[in-house]
Formats: sequence, structure tokens, C-alpha cells
Amino acid sequence: MKAQPPKRALQFLRWFCREDYLEEFEGDLIELFEKHFETSPKKAKRKFFWGVMRSFRPGFMKAFYKVNYSITTAMFKNNLKVAWRNALRQPFFTFLNTSGLAIGMAGALIITLFLHDELSFDKMFADADRIYRVNIDNRTAGETNHFAAVSSPLANVMQSDFPQAEMITRLKVSNSILLKEVNAEQNVKEDYVAGADSTFFEMFGLKLLYGNAKNALQKPNSIVLTKTAALKHFDLDKALGQSMVLNNDEIYVVTGVMDDLPKNSFLRNHQVFISLSSFDDAKSLAWNTWSFPTFVKLSPTANEENLQVYLSTVKDRYLIPWAMTFMPGLTVESAKEMEKSSGDFMRFTPIALTDIHLHSPNIEDELSTNSDIQNVYILAAVGLFLIILACVNFMNLSTARSLKRAKEVGVRKTLGSSRSGLIKQFLTESTLVAFMALVLAIAIAALCLPYFNQLAGKAISIPFGNPLFWLVLLGVSLVLGFGSGSYPAFLMSRFAPIKGMKGGDIKGNGGRTVINSLVVVQFAISLFLMLGTFVVFQQLNFIQNKDLGYQKDQVLIIDDVDATGKQIEAFKNQVKTIAQVESASLSSYLPTPSPRSATTLFPDKSLGSENALIIGSWDIDYDYLSTLGLELVAGRDFNRELATDSSAMILNESTTVLLGLSPEEAIGMRFTDDFHREDKENMRYFTVIGVVKNFHFETLRNSIDALSLTLGGKPKKMLVKLNAGDFSKGISELETVWEKFAPGQPFSYYFMDDSFNNTYDTEQRLGKIFVIFTSLSIFIACLGLFGLAAFNAEKRAKEISIRKVLGASIGQITYKLSIDFLKLVGLATIVSLPLAGYFMNRWLQDFSYRIEIPWWVYVLTAFMAVVISILTVSFQSTKAAMSSPIKALKQE
Amino acid sequence: MSEHSLGEFEELVLLLVAANNKEAYGVLILENLEEKLGKKVNVSAVHVALKRMENKGFVESSYGGITNERGGRRKKYYSITSIGKKVLDQQYEVRTSIYQQIPKISFGQ
Repeated sequence: MKAQPPKRALQFLRWFCREDYLEEFEGDLIELFEKHFETSPKKAKRKFFWGVMRSFRPGFMKAFYKVNYSITTAMFKNNLKVAWRNALRQPFFTFLNTSGLAIGMAGALIITLFLHDELSFDKMFADADRIYRVNIDNRTAGETNHFAAVSSPLANVMQSDFPQAEMITRLKVSNSILLKEVNAEQNVKEDYVAGADSTFFEMFGLKLLYGNAKNALQKPNSIVLTKTAALKHFDLDKALGQSMVLNNDEIYVVTGVMDDLPKNSFLRNHQVFISLSSFDDAKSLAWNTWSFPTFVKLSPTANEENLQVYLSTVKDRYLIPWAMTFMPGLTVESAKEMEKSSGDFMRFTPIALTDIHLHSPNIEDELSTNSDIQNVYILAAVGLFLIILACVNFMNLSTARSLKRAKEVGVRKTLGSSRSGLIKQFLTESTLVAFMALVLAIAIAALCLPYFNQLAGKAISIPFGNPLFWLVLLGVSLVLGFGSGSYPAFLMSRFAPIKGMKGGDIKGNGGRTVINSLVVVQFAISLFLMLGTFVVFQQLNFIQNKDLGYQKDQVLIIDDVDATGKQIEAFKNQVKTIAQVESASLSSYLPTPSPRSATTLFPDKSLGSENALIIGSWDIDYDYLSTLGLELVAGRDFNRELATDSSAMILNESTTVLLGLSPEEAIGMRFTDDFHREDKENMRYFTVIGVVKNFHFETLRNSIDALSLTLGGKPKKMLVKLNAGDFSKGISELETVWEKFAPGQPFSYYFMDDSFNNTYDTEQRLGKIFVIFTSLSIFIACLGLFGLAAFNAEKRAKEISIRKVLGASIGQITYKLSIDFLKLVGLATIVSLPLAGYFMNRWLQDFSYRIEIPWWVYVLTAFMAVVISILTVSFQSTKAAMSSPIKALKQE
Repeated sequence: MSEHSLGEFEELVLLLVAANNKEAYGVLILENLEEKLGKKVNVSAVHVALKRMENKGFVESSYGGITNERGGRRKKYYSITSIGKKVLDQQYEVRTSIYQQIPKISFGQ
């Protein structure tokens, strides 16, 4: 017996190889096999197998339709052909159907990409799942605040007695700085600057393009720049080792250049990192200043709970013993008792690095603004709504359209088509449309993405290169095609052929009920979104026009006025002489976003910790109150004539409420922040001379905190109140004065109301995104309604004609055709508005200052829905009512 | 690529078909090739070249009779067509004409 070639390989060859080649190839392969077999059977087998594999190429394969002679593939081809012809036969419906679905898909696609980006925050850092930040939750006088920054000594303490920490890094949020190369004339302003410990790069797995990541931030006065920041001064490869001047004052050495930080990280804006050892307070042992965001990388075996347990012990073991050194009578027990009786607390809590972006809203001292998981949910819901709307549309139009094809189904059935065959045909059709919509959707999304990016402040792109992306898209379109096609498919394949052949119309099989309820669902969703949009805008409007307690209009802020050095007062006086300037004031603190500082105050001589007042503390000057138009409810403003005012203090109303006093009673009280002092007799005191009416210096999400105003400090900003005259002239004059006092320094300014509006950037963007997707959803719903109305008018053409012949007016017929749809829209209104009202009220609860949803918003929403649907439907209805009756009656 | 283009490997196969006109079939060509080139060639590469040239009309094929060899499969014999011969001639002409243009080059001393 001769040697047999490998069976499976031969089978495989026979399966794929085209018949006209097969004999030759098989022969050659077998001949070779037999030859090789004599020398080495193993090698022969291998060669044979390899030869078969090499022949497995398109040119040698059977044509696609020949792979499988079964009826399925033939029918599939036929179905596809019928589907295509059907699509072409009714171009209007096909267009409505495809574009509606495509728009919905494009919207959902963009939302998905956006959400994916939001959810990917900070995950790119090495070991991101093991990195935690320590926050402080603090409650004083009934108000809870969260802080992203903690006390300086915490890091050291953890290093020494928390072995589960693999690495600890502190950052420090810094003010903006002026930076220049030693010999350069012009300063460059950098807004996003942070101090960082030397372990910073290792902690987050960041690499330096130039320089040594291990020790770049070790020595004081070291500075690491991102590529973008470095390019403003040097060629990248020459940056290392260069000396730079910071704020016209200190010399720093560039010890590293790094890539720009990822856009989806909490450090996305930061351009400059300064070694933490350059900051005086980095070695501070004080536990009462919180300015260092502290990150901990846990060892792989430890978990969040370990960290939590450890942090809960820190206060008793370190903070209170430290406080006891200057607070007589304080013990761990007394501190605990106090917390218990007052309900106040202060505790360290861990937060996972990857939770920072979405799960920690309303945190103060954050490195960059965070988003909120709530927004993610809202947008996800909107995206889902869009897809549902588009599907409902698709389903409705396909169902309506397929009802017209009863005759075709009847004929097919008579000719022996099985039910499953018909189902397959309808499913093929809907899937074909779904795929056409997919192609269109990708094109739409790609076109719109740049605009969306601008709107959302993101840099999202469509991941064309990602196979998973395509897999998901294909999967989704398949599901959509099947899902939306299934109802018409099962409905149409069900009825007896004779019915279809005879009447051409199917009655009483439930098709209409389903269509009607789907229309209700569609409009309910659209109304929901519409009401939501109204409410969001009302709230935004409310916030922006709310009386804030200060005048933000026509106030110009000049940054970095400390660049004028010792001439700062002279500069201010010169500014005041400009005709367009009403008043000017120097301070670092603004009611709009600016650095904040807090201090601990004790009322006169009572250093008991139960009297401690943790309170915002701003350094201002004599003209501050008048420039911002702040009103006093008691007492007086600072007075130049009185030398004692250097130790005077103005409080805000919230503080007096906190103290349980009326504004008048607070006047004359004395407070000290100087409690560390050994000789208690010489402590520095501030006397309250006035109480200022509450003004909003945080966003309206928060209520107004306690605040104290004192004279002095190192002002970094100048507030200039302009009168109603020529703004641009005023500004150019200001610039001239600036050039005189601070030559070569950038003159950067902005208007306070712009800065105020920026505070609500998130809401604004959300509002705009809402509007876009709401309009989209309404548009899709209208497309559907439009299509249905057209279909309905067409189907009832004969009825309309007979009515007309019998004397019905155009108005009556239009009414008759429209009223059915309007009933549905009315029903949708009743279902949707209460639900929407409920959810929007929950959204509003996040704001300390919020609107109540006025009744007319509901009315307006319902009214608009009705008007839009009347417009949509009546176009088709009137068209049908106006057409000549003879046209419809002539047929058949 | 024009219809009458001929790849390097195809040219070799075509030459062998011409050399063994009407006797050439897959395994024979393969063995000849391996002998001339001094390296291993996969039989499917020969098949690809043959089928391509058949489509281009450079070779034509016919079945031989059934024998006991090859598990009873017929051989497919290839012969060169007039177009194939013309292409081959052209190719040869081009090459020789260019080759003759090479001046006397001396390498080294």
C-alpha cells in the first residue's frame, strides 16, 4: 500500500480549492509527497501540509457563492437584492429612515466617545489603581467643606510609620509666575505651576525628555518645564541646565524637560513644576495650614481600607499633640468631646486617583477643575434616549411601510415562502438600512467632532485604528437592525396570505397600537429633554443675573502688579489719575476665582479650642470695598487717617451668624491669629470695625462662608473700576502707565464679569450640549412623525377623496388627519412632564441658590411640542386634503 | 502594470515551460527550478505563476491521461502560446540590447 498524504490537509484543500484547479494541484502535491515520503515521511507530511496552506489564497478559492450550494446563501443574495430594490423604490421613506437613524447614531457615538474620555481620566499613570490622594473633610459650624490639600507634615509622618505606603509625593498649587531666561527682556506668564517633591515623576511614572527624573526636583530652585513651556524660551535640547528668573526675583535652574501632560489627567494644564524644597513652607511642621495635595502609592498588598484606618489615627497621634503645645488645657479627650458636642469634625480621607475627576465635586484647592459623575449619567441617558428615539423611528417607519407590502407577502406565501424565510427577508432589509445609517453616522460624527470638541473643551478623535471600536459599531448596528426590524418582520410574516392579497391592508392585528405607543414614547422623551433644557437655562440665567452683593461690571483686573516692585503704591496713584478710572484697589483676593487663604482666629484671650474660628482671610486695601461696591451693614470701612486700622478687621455677615451675634454686637470684638506665640501678653489682635453685607465669593453652588478682611499683604492684582466712558481708551492708558512702572513685563488683564462667567463654564457647556442633543432628538421625533403622517395620508387617499367628493372642506380633512397624532402628543405630554419636573428638581438641589421651576415652563414645553407636531403633521395633511380627488379614485 | 508584463519568477517559469514544451507540468517545473536556482521553491508559488500566465494568455494547458502515479490524478501539461513566445522574445531583446550598451568595465586591476 502506498503512503497516504495527510487526510485533513487534503480535505481542507478540497473544501476551498476551485474545481478546475483541484485535480492538478492535488496531483502535484501528492506526487511530491510520494517522492519525499521515500526519504523522510515526516518531512513529506510537513511539506504537503505547507503546500496546502500556501495554496490557500483568494485566486485559488471557489467563488464566494460556490462555497456553499445551500439555499441560504442564495436566498441571502436574493433578499439583499430585494431589500436594495425596495429601498430605491421608496426613496423618500428610505431617506427619512436612514437619516433619522444615522443622526441618532452619530449623536450617540459622539456622546460615547465623550464619556469614554471622561471615564479614562488619570488611568494612564503608572499604577494608577494603587495611588490615592489624602483629602480633608472639615465641618465647622454646620458647614462641611472638602479640601484637596493637606498639612505639610502628613507626608513625613506617613513615611515614618505607614509601611504600606510604597511612595509618597506632595504637590503644592502655586500662583501664576512670571518666567524668563536670565538674559531675556520679556517675561512669559505661566498660569499652571505646581511645586512637587522629588519623587513626583517616579510616583506617576512620568518620563523626562531631558534630565534625570530621579533627582530633577531634589535641590531647591530647580524647575522642570513641559515641552510647550520650554519651547517658549529655548530649543528643547538646549534647555537643560539653563538659568531662569522667576517673578523677576529668584534664579532657577532648568533640571528637566518633560512631555506635555495627557489631556485627560488632573495635571492636564500644568506646564511648570518647581522643586518643593524651594518653598519655605515645605518644611513647616504646622498642621493647621492645608496647602499640599499629598499622594500615596500603596504597596500591591495594601488596600484603601488600610490607608483609611491609618489616616483615622493621625489626628490623635500627631495633630492634637502639636496643637497642645500652644493650647493650654487641650487633650485628646477634650478634643473628642468637643467634636461630639458641636457635631464638627476634621478628618483625613483617602480618595483614589482615578476617582478624582468624576467623584469629587466641590473640592477646594483642586489642581484642575473636575467634572461630576452626575454629568456622565445625564449625558449617558441623553445618548441612550437618542438611540431609542432613532430606533423607534426606524421601527415605526418600517412597520408602517411594510403594512403596504401585504400583497407582496401574500404572493410570496402563496408561492411557498416559509414564515422564517419572510422574517429573514424583512430582517435583511432593516439590517441593510442600519448599516447604511452606520456609514452615514460615522461621516456625520467625523464632521461634527471638531465643533463638539470646541464646545466641550476636549480633544476627542474617532479611534478609526481601533479594531474594538469597529467591532462595537458593527455589533451595535446589527443589534439595531435586528431589534428594529423584528417587529415588522414578525407582524408581516404572521397573517394569512388571502388577507393580504384581497385587501392590501391589514386591520386589527395590533400594528397601529404599537406604532401609536411608540410615537408616545418618542414624544415623551423629546418633551423630557426639552423641559430639561429650559430648566438648565433658567438656572444659568438666574445665577448670572443674581445680585451677588458686589459690582462686577466694568471692573478690570490687572494681574501680577507685584512686578512693579516697591513702586506699587505710586502705580496705583498714577492709575487713579486716568480720566476713565473711577477707583482702583490692590489685593490678591477676588470674589471671582483667585487664590484663597484661611486662618484660624480666636476671640479675645479665650484660646479654648471650642472658640476657634476657621475663616477665610483676605488682605485688601482702603479702596477695596468702594471699588467693588460692597455695602456695610454695621460699622465703617478702613480709614487712611486712622493708624490703628492696620490692626482692624471687617467681617462678613456669615461670620456674625456663626458667632451668634448681630452685626452691631460684633463691632469692637477682638480676634487673634497669633496664638503660637510663647508670651501670650504680646499677641497681635484685630479689632472688628465693620461688618460687610454678604457677597458671593464662591460659586452659587455653595453658600457664603465666613470671611475676614484685613489691610496689608502682598497684593498681586489690581482692581480698576472704569466709568462708563471709553473702555478701550482707558485700557490703552492703563497700558501706558504699566509700561512706565513695569517695563518688559506682560500686561495681562481681564474683565471681572468674564471671569465670573467662566466660573459657570461647566454649566454653560453642559447647557449647550443639552441644547444640541435636545434639538437632535426633537428633529428625529419630527422626522418620524413626518414620515408617519405622509404614510397615513397616502394610505387614506381614497377615503379623503370620497370625503371631498361628498363635500368635506380642506380644513375638516386636515383636522381629521392631524387630530390622531395630536392626541398622541397630548398623551406624551401628560406622561412626560411630571417625570421631567421630578428629575430636574433633583438636579437643582445641587445648587445652594436655585430656581423653582415656574409653571409656565411646563406650559411652554407642552405648547412647543404641540406646535411643532402640528407643523410637521399638517404639512402632509393639507397636502393630502388639497390634492384632486380624482387622482386617488382613478387608481385600480 | 500592463497586461503583458512578466514578473521575474514568472519569466523563469515561462522559460521552463518553453524549454519543456507540452511536457511541462507542476512538479517537473518545480524540480527544474530548484535545480537551476539552487534553492527550495514551494509548489504553490509555481502554481500561482502558471495560473497567472494562463490568465494572461502566455501559456495554455491540457490534461494528460490517467496513470497509476499521483494517486490517479491527471497531470496538467503546459505549453507556451505565440503571445507568450513573443513576450519572451521581447524581454530577451530588451535585456540584450541594454546589456550590449554596457561599456567595458574593469574591476580592480
